[in-house]
Parts: sequence; structure tokens; C-alpha cells
Amino acid sequence: MSRVVGIDLGTTNSLVAYVNDGTPIVIRDDTGDGSDALVPSVVSVAPDGTVLVGREAERRLLTAADRTAYSIKRFMGKGREDVQGEAAHFPFRISGDDTGVVRIGLGDREYTPPEISAFVLRELKRRADAHFAALDDGRLGREETIGAVITVPAYFNDAQRTATRDAGRLAGLEILRIINEPTAASLAYGLDKRHAGLVAVYDFGGGTFDISILRIEDGVFQVLSTNGDTHLGGDDIDQLFTARVLEDLERGGAAVSHDGEFVQTVRTSVIRAKHELSNHEEAEIAVSRVATGGPDGQGRLNPQHQPYRMRLTRAAFEEAIAPIVERTLGPCRQALADAGIEPSQIDDVVLVGGSTRIPMVRRKVEALFGRAPHTGLNPDEVVALGAALQADILATGNRELLLLDVTPLSLGIETMGGVVSKIISRNSTIPATGGELFTTGVDDQTAVDIHVLQGERELVADNRSLARFKLRGIPPMPAGLPRVQVRFQIDANGILSVTARELRTGVEQVVEVKPSYGLTDEEVERMLVESFEHAEADVAARLLIDARNEAESVISATEKQLRSPDFADIERTELTPDESRKIRAVVSGLKMVLGSSDRETIQKWTQALNEATRHLAEVTMNRAVRAALAGRNVDAL
Amino acid sequence: MTDYFTFLGLSRKLGIDVQELDRRYRALSRQFHPDYFHNASPGERRVSLERSSYLNDAYRTLKNPITRIEYLLKLEVGSPQGSDDPQSDAAQLKHGTPLPGRKPPASLLEEVFALNEELGEIREMRDRGAAPEEWQARLERAQQPIEAKRIAHEAEIAALSSQWDAAIDRDAPLDHRHAILEALGDRFLERNYISNLLLGIERELGVEPSALGN
Repeated sequence: MSRVVGIDLGTTNSLVAYVNDGTPIVIRDDTGDGSDALVPSVVSVAPDGTVLVGREAERRLLTAADRTAYSIKRFMGKGREDVQGEAAHFPFRISGDDTGVVRIGLGDREYTPPEISAFVLRELKRRADAHFAALDDGRLGREETIGAVITVPAYFNDAQRTATRDAGRLAGLEILRIINEPTAASLAYGLDKRHAGLVAVYDFGGGTFDISILRIEDGVFQVLSTNGDTHLGGDDIDQLFTARVLEDLERGGAAVSHDGEFVQTVRTSVIRAKHELSNHEEAEIAVSRVATGGPDGQGRLNPQHQPYRMRLTRAAFEEAIAPIVERTLGPCRQALADAGIEPSQIDDVVLVGGSTRIPMVRRKVEALFGRAPHTGLNPDEVVALGAALQADILATGNRELLLLDVTPLSLGIETMGGVVSKIISRNSTIPATGGELFTTGVDDQTAVDIHVLQGERELVADNRSLARFKLRGIPPMPAGLPRVQVRFQIDANGILSVTARELRTGVEQVVEVKPSYGLTDEEVERMLVESFEHAEADVAARLLIDARNEAESVISATEKQLRSPDFADIERTELTPDESRKIRAVVSGLKMVLGSSDRETIQKWTQALNEATRHLAEVTMNRAVRAALAGRNVDAL
Repeated sequence: MTDYFTFLGLSRKLGIDVQELDRRYRALSRQFHPDYFHNASPGERRVSLERSSYLNDAYRTLKNPITRIEYLLKLEVGSPQGSDDPQSDAAQLKHGTPLPGRKPPASLLEEVFALNEELGEIREMRDRGAAPEEWQARLERAQQPIEAKRIAHEAEIAALSSQWDAAIDRDAPLDHRHAILEALGDRFLERNYISNLLLGIERELGVEPSALGN
């Protein structure tokens, strides 16, 4: 892997950026309509099975509405029941399978939301591949993979994050990290390091709203709190006015609201008017097209076949959208309270997301924080630029900048009476751990149910169920005697794993929490095999390459340690002669099998090297800490 | 791993220079954070994840003065909030029975007794359909002695915290230190009892917590 990128996978538009000589830049498409940074997050499947993505797919919203999916981000990580209410607003088929996973029907095929997002990501990957190939003058080898940081709304839950990671894997990207959009934006904003202090990032996009409060100091971007609504964005404004126009027309006798293509025509016109109102005092929603989807193929717009027009002043527009904009303020106040900060203490407010172009949004933000927001950044691009910076940090290990993010929602497990016992509180910096001791309530109970939940409410029923599993094999004991230690670990991606262990007997179960509405690893592998770009042989080859890359990076990391100036001292004082002999032996062993095409053997030796170097890793880390605490220059370490 | 204080290179004192804590936290984050171990061996990656999680937990615990004291008590006395029953901190998973409510500490009996009596009358008032302003005002008055206790406790806890720090500084004998911790533990038990009491009343009477202040 030699190239890394940052990807903003948006509700409406997506884009990809990378860092060139320390500066993040967006990769633009040089072929299409001019030089365009944004890829509309739209996917269309033609009758012959051809998949179109981006601008081309967007054009088909009007001609093949039932085969063209948009705003898919709203469905990521959701169950069928979650989306029932809004399924009617979309012209494509939305259903669910037995396990409750949402399925989107385009033509005669059904797709999960991660599969559709993967088409968008593949298009971005293609863009990046082409860009890098041009830079490298075609030297980019076939074995190169692209590593990517993908952003998600800060308020995404575990299931939504996992679905995003799955989409990336399906697109053939190596997912370096899932990071939060407002945090990514702050990184791009604070890059020049003149910025220090308290910053609020107000991120109002197509489908989601986030607010994050950060403290920036010494290049450390520390998120203090975050809040938001994963179901609040420009889409809601579009839907509001689309519904108005349709009602208007139906009152006039036209049966239009079930004609998907016509609905899209109206929506497109609404969006155009919304954009205009950001710069003008007045705009018009004009629908000249006649609906064609009637059963007899006849136009159904209205009996007179007159074009439809609705004049809209900015004042009327603002009055209508005020409740939507107002809904962003509650999360802002909560985030400030959680950070223990008064609005007046905020040094700068950064705007992200297309919906922040609406003048009323800017006014409301200014009123809340008592200062004019910072508008120097392109709200469409700043998230991708920040993601690219984070990708660069991960690839190079550059310690100048550091993001410390938080988990947006509390995590807990179900206890007696359907009550949630919190194990990790919201706004805890990640990675984080938490644990609690539980016991049984019935004599001779040999298994306990562990039900993992995410959310702030007290009762199980009001929170998001993430996963359920059973810890079995507890020897029969009187109630209250077993000691079940439940431990949560949230990694730097914000993704949770849970361990349950009975302390008296040591019975243990580790669960990588697979969200209730997510895909299993097997499903993701199967989808990879099925996707037309990957024949089965390709997948095997790809997995072998991954195993080799992993082995090579372990060898190189180990050899780097062995060569370091401190190693002789470490070897003398802290390692047993056996330990260092073994490390060297396993390194040579792994090097010997590296060239073979036996993936399992390579992985077995890699694992062996990991185990052999575990103690060395700890010792090295401890020394670094002692040095850091002794006040030695951190950069020198 | 070592305790949180040692991990952050601090002595076990309750008065912490928050800016110094922040500085150490940032410096150590720059050592451990998984971002910097992305291309390292999985062994190092695991250590980085563990240390980094532990650092975040330590920082969060020590940054907040309340959890800092709780943690010190746990560390020095062994069990949290002065409880010596090892089972009491194990909540029950489904199919169990809820833990019985804790009895009020002896020093609070008088206030709690008076409050309960008053609460009974306020409930009656409410059920008779008295105007909310009327019974809410009375509720506020009823809570005043408890609120006064709470404020007194905060002051006592602050004084005991300073005593503890002084004892550490002059390396006072163990029994002296234990006496301070014991007193601190008692105050803490009472403090938690009072907080729960106030919260319970507000919840039961359906009063917005903010309407009564804390």
C-alpha cells in the first residue's frame, strides 16, 4: 500500500482527497463536466445490469426513478422497521429480509445499503487510481491497494459505522480508519496551527446534523463533546417543499404522488429553488414536465397541461424551514453543556455541509454562539480534506497533529427490570474501556444473557439494541455468587467489542459486536466474490496479497526495533536470551515462507512473530513513557 | 498496569494542577495513540490500544474532582464508597432481584425523617389538586435543610482533601492517613445519599430538575 486517501461519503455528494507535500487537495474529475470535485451519491442500475454512478446516475433520477438510488446514507446500518415511515418518500423499492436488514430494489436486483455505497466508493477509488496513475506515469503496480479514511457523522451509532466500514471493504479499499465528519473538518480548519482554543463545528449536511466542541492545543484536537441527529438535513427541506407541490397539484386533480419520475422532477426543481434562495430574495419552483408514469402512459400533471409554478420568497421559505433549523439548536446546547462550556467561551465557529449556505442557518448559529461563524472554508470539501490529513498521519506516523475523538452515545448492558446499566458514558475519549461486575438472580443459573445497548435512555426499550449473546458454562451456584465481569472496548474507529467472563471459573466469551442489522463477515466475503469486478480467483489472490503485506509490515516493524539504538540495552536488561533468540528465529522463518502462495502458513508465522514480540513491544512503550514523563522532548522519542 | 496517578506521573494527591494534567495527557497521548502504530506490528498495536484506552480512562477519572476522590478511596481503602461487602457492587443481570435501597447514614437520619414527613404532606397536596406553584414552593422549602447539608459536605470534603494532600507531603503515618480517608469515605457516602435523595424527589414529583436547582 503506497497511497492513502480521505473520503467524505456524503448523503448527497461524495469526494476524495489526498495529501501532497503536506497539503491536502481534492481529487477532481478531469473528464466529465469540467473539473468536478463532487460525485453525487447516486447509483442507477440500467436494465442490462450496467451500474452508473455519480452525475450519470443523477441524470437518470428523472428518467429511471425506480432504478436509481439516492440518499442511501440514511439507510446505512438501519433495520427495516427503522425506515418504514419514510420508505414512501422514495421512488425506489425499500424492503427488508428475514434478519431485518434493509434491501433496496433497483430493477430486478436487491442491494443492501453498504453495497450501494460501495458503488459510490468504487467510483471514488477509480478517480484516485486514475489520478495517481497519471502522477506515477503508469508506474503504479497491479498490487497496489489504496488505503482510505472514511468519514461518518459524529452521531452515527455502532451499526452505522460498521455498515460504512463494510461498504469500504466491498469497494476494495483498505479501511485505515472511520472518523467523524466534524472532527475531520476541524483538522483541515486548524491545520495552519495558528488556531488554538475552543472551536465549535456545526455540520449541517444533506441528511445528518452534527455539532462538536473541540479544544485545539499543541496540535492536539481534543473533542470535548458531540451531539447531533442522524436524520436531519437538507433532505428534510427538499421533502417538505416537494410534498407541498404535490399536494397542490393533487388538489387540482392530478394523480402525481405515485409517479416516481414526476416526484423526482419536482424534487429537482425544489432543490434548484432552495439553492437560489441562498443568494436571492426570491425563487420559483417550476415544473414544466408532464408526468408520464400513468397506467395509460398519458400525462397526468393537470387537466390543462399547464406548467406548474410556485413563487417563493426567502421570508416564506425561512418561515417554512424554521422548525427544521430550530431542531439543530437543541443538540448544540446539549453539546455545550456536556463540555461544561458557555457559548461565549467558544473562540470560533466552523461551518460544514451544504445546508450551512442557507442564510437563516448562519443567522441562527451566530445568535446562539454570539459570534459570526468562520466561512473561509468550502463547506463541501473541508471534511474530505481533513480525512486526507488523518490518512496521512496514519500512513506516515507523523506526530505533529493528533485527533482525540469521543464516542457520541453511551454504551451499556441490560440488567434487571429492563434497565440499562451504563458501562461507557457518552463523550468518553476513544479508545476507551469500561467494565462492570454482574451476578445471577436465580439459583443454578448456568448462562447469562448479555444484551448490549447504545443510547442515553434508562429503559432498554428506548435504546438501540446493538447485539445479544449468551455467556454459557457457568457452573451451578446459588444466585448472587457468580461474578460475571463484562468488559467493553471501543477502538479508535469508535467500534465496540465486548468480553464477558465468569471470574470464579474463568469461562470467557469475546464478542466482536456485530450490529443487529449489519452484515456478517461471511456475507461481506460472499458479496465481494459476487461483485462482478471480483472473480473468485481474484479474491484469493487479493487475500494472499493482504497476508503478504501484513507479514512484510510486521517484519519491517520488528527489524526496525532490532536495529534501534536502544535495543542493545533493552536486550541486555529486559529480555531473556531465549526471547531475543526466538524473535530473530521467527523473523527468518517468516521471511522464508513469505514467497510461498500458502496464505495460511504466512498468517501462522505472522501470528507467531506477533506473539514473540509482544513483550518487547511493552518494554519499548514503557521506556518511551518514562522518557516522556521525565520531560524529555517528545519529538525526540 | 499501575494506578492512574502513577500512570500519569502524579503523586496520589487530590489537589491536581489541571493544566499540568492536560499537558501530561497530551504528551502521553502522543506516545500511545493507535494513530501512530498503524504500520507497527500487531503486538505493538495491541499495546498501543490498551495503553491509550487506559490513559483516556485515567485522564477522565482524575480530571473530575468527584471521580478523583472516588478513585483514591477505591485505591487506598479497596472498595468504593466505604462499602465492605464485595457483593454489593455486582448489579444483577436479568432474572435477578433488584438490590434493596440503602439505609440513610446515621448522621442524616433526622433530616431524612423530617423530609419524608413533609413529602407525604406535599404528595397529599398535589393529589388534592393544589396548584403546582403552591406545592412546589413548599417542596423547595422542604429541601432546604438537605441542600444546606450538601453544601456543608462539599466544604468538609474540600477540607479533608487538603488534609490528605498535607499528609502525603509530610509522609504522615499510615493510621493518620487512614483516619482521613475514613472520614472522607463517610462524607462521600452521605454526599451520594443526598444527591440520590434530591434526584429521587424531583423525579417522583415530576419536577424539571432545573426548576429546583441543585
